[in-house]
Amino acid sequence: MTLVMRLSRPLRSRTLGMLIVRRLLLVPLVLFAVVTIVFFAMRLIPGSPATTLGVAGTEGLSSKQIQENIDALTKTLGLDRPLLEQFGTYLLAVSRLDLGYSFFGSNSVVSLLKNTLPATIELVFTAMIIAVILGVVTGVVAAMRRGKALDSIILAFATVSFSLPWFALGVLGIIVFSVQLGWLPVLGRLPTSLGYQPTTNFVLLDAILQNRPDLVLPWIEHLILPALTLAISMAGFITRMVRASVLEVLGDDFIRTARMKGLDEWHIMSGHVLRNSSLPVVTVLGLQFGSLLGGSVITETVFSYPGVGNLLVSAVNQHDYLLVQGAVFAVALLFILTNVVVDILYYVLDPRLRKA
Amino acid sequence: MATSPEQSSSGADGSSAAREPILSVRDLRVGFRTRSGVVPAVDGVDLDLYAGEVLAIVGESGSGKSAMSMSLVGLNRGPRTMISGTAHFRGIELISASERQLRSVRGKHIAVVFQDALAALNPLHRIGKQVAEMITLHQKVSGRRAKDMAVQMLGDVGISNPRHNAEAYPHQFSGGMRQRAMTAIALANDPTVLIADEPTTALDVTIQAQILDLLKSLQRELGTAVVIVTHDLGVVADIADRVAVMYSGRIVEIGTTEQVLYAPKHPYTRGLLASTPGVTGPIPASLPTIPGSPPMGAERPDGCSFAPRCAFVLRECATTPILASHDPSDSGHQDACWLGELTIPVPDESRSTL
Ligand SMILES: Nc1ncnc2c1ncn2[C@@H]1O[C@H](COP(=O)(O)OP(=O)(O)OP(=O)(O)O)[C@@H](O)[C@H]1O
Ligand code: SF4
Ligand SMILES: [Mg+2]
Repeated sequence: MTLVMRLSRPLRSRTLGMLIVRRLLLVPLVLFAVVTIVFFAMRLIPGSPATTLGVAGTEGLSSKQIQENIDALTKTLGLDRPLLEQFGTYLLAVSRLDLGYSFFGSNSVVSLLKNTLPATIELVFTAMIIAVILGVVTGVVAAMRRGKALDSIILAFATVSFSLPWFALGVLGIIVFSVQLGWLPVLGRLPTSLGYQPTTNFVLLDAILQNRPDLVLPWIEHLILPALTLAISMAGFITRMVRASVLEVLGDDFIRTARMKGLDEWHIMSGHVLRNSSLPVVTVLGLQFGSLLGGSVITETVFSYPGVGNLLVSAVNQHDYLLVQGAVFAVALLFILTNVVVDILYYVLDPRLRKA
Repeated sequence: MATSPEQSSSGADGSSAAREPILSVRDLRVGFRTRSGVVPAVDGVDLDLYAGEVLAIVGESGSGKSAMSMSLVGLNRGPRTMISGTAHFRGIELISASERQLRSVRGKHIAVVFQDALAALNPLHRIGKQVAEMITLHQKVSGRRAKDMAVQMLGDVGISNPRHNAEAYPHQFSGGMRQRAMTAIALANDPTVLIADEPTTALDVTIQAQILDLLKSLQRELGTAVVIVTHDLGVVADIADRVAVMYSGRIVEIGTTEQVLYAPKHPYTRGLLASTPGVTGPIPASLPTIPGSPPMGAERPDGCSFAPRCAFVLRECATTPILASHDPSDSGHQDACWLGELTIPVPDESRSTL
């Protein structure tokens, strides 16, 4: 309960403009930290992209030739320069929004992200929406049935759901719904047979722009299982949050006032409890979005879903430095912007934050 | 047994001496289940409220004032609360009434002003909306009309520029304005009975006086019967027609304001008054003329619960004294003490500060 109280404490900000500016001022700082950490972390991992590249397709070459190959590549990629110099060069490029090229294939990091980031955004936001709906409904029901059997059942499910290795749940989902029952496609985002030519790479948006309603159902079918997998653990968390928050608000004095007016329980719940108890939940939503993004990496891998997470995993395996750095950069940016939106939402919900 | 209206002149309208009470409470008991057993907060209260009168309930903290008044409208109902007894109001027995029945009484016929208006108002709703909600709930009017009525009501309780201030949120109001808004909500449907639980305790002294004046003038204007719970004998002297003194869950003395404040009978009332500088100030936290503190719950002795602190304990006091008049000329002034029964002359030293 103290967590709820702490988190629902009003932010000390005057106007919405100032709030957004303050948050946006943090963006370069956070991004710098993220880029720095990823840059050096990648170089701490044993192995180098030059080795990965130099060894590929080298059957029949002597080890000396291979080594020469690798050395040449190291020079070409600029990996022989002092580390700090490499870092400086990269920072300069990033500040011009130039994220460089993947070492494998000749795609620019930006174009790779353009292809994959929309898929990830679709996945995490769908998961978030599912989690919020599930979490709020079960949380409110549990609070209203406090101490009853239904409350215990919901709480048990919530507790289990966020202590479970939920990607294992994803695998189970694939086995049951895709393999055994054949109701859902196994992997990917859309079947190639549809001949989808991305405009924005957001399928729903493209379906409208290109007038392709036939894209929608397959899109949902591919999305539902990974999104559910990702949503389950977060839903459990929200359930507990909402339940605690609703119970806390129900004990507030203004609920007694509402009762004194002669309002029935339903109107008290819908008119006075829900919005008030959403405040602490909204605050954690932004932070929870972080773990959702983290979870999407594993989920995308399990479901071979062509998002940033999948891209990131293969990039790490290949020591594709610039791609890893660029992908993490993009995900961090997404996280920060989502939190700005959450801040705005909080501000809209709570008039106490607005200037008198 | 029943408290009839006083024959003295300080009644609300003074017209008839044998009016029917609008609210009639009998043997009201309220207990709270706690881990360490049941706390009997109200222990057999009989009380009558007459139309248009102001009845003050006074007593030390924990004497059961809030528990009693809240139970009348079922606002403290819950799995841990046990309420028994009867409270008849307009043909409804409030204690056994269903929530549905109570909802038709709450806000419409009986409204409550709470102590801490900041907490009692929803922080996320505009003031005007909170008043209008009360109106639309019980009157068949359009949302627009309700809003206009709310603005009107806010003006009536002395909020300046009510149309503009109706759009404000509680946190933008001062403490006094919030209590005025709370009063506007409570009086929005012109209720028969207003329960005000320490409506001024949270406010500055000057603001307290303003809110009391407001309550008094609105009460006169609308003819509302008011039950005002207070710690402050000054409040009692200012606005109450009658006073009930509570001690340890029981009413130990009841009568007109004059009778109770200036001719108290019960040793507790006398100690209370003697401990209160100038008779009409706030009751101090500890009563210099009554050593000790009220017994809580299970420690309550058999018989008179004031006995452990009473300077006059008799053998009879081991049996609970009943609330009755000990003045043949006035059945309205009643107290629960054996001294009155036995007509033993009572030493007068505890009233020396009067
Ligand atoms: N919800 C509750 N659970 C348990 N005990 C309670 C509860 N509410 C009140 N009590 C107890 O019941 C007794 C009477 O409380 P009540 O609030 O009616 O006193 P009061 O006269 O209004 O005091 P105050 O002047 O401090 O408001 C006290 O001993 C209190 O501790
Ligand atoms: S009944 Fe006895 S103990 Fe109680 S107040 Fe009267 S004299 Fe004191
Ligand atoms: Mg109280």
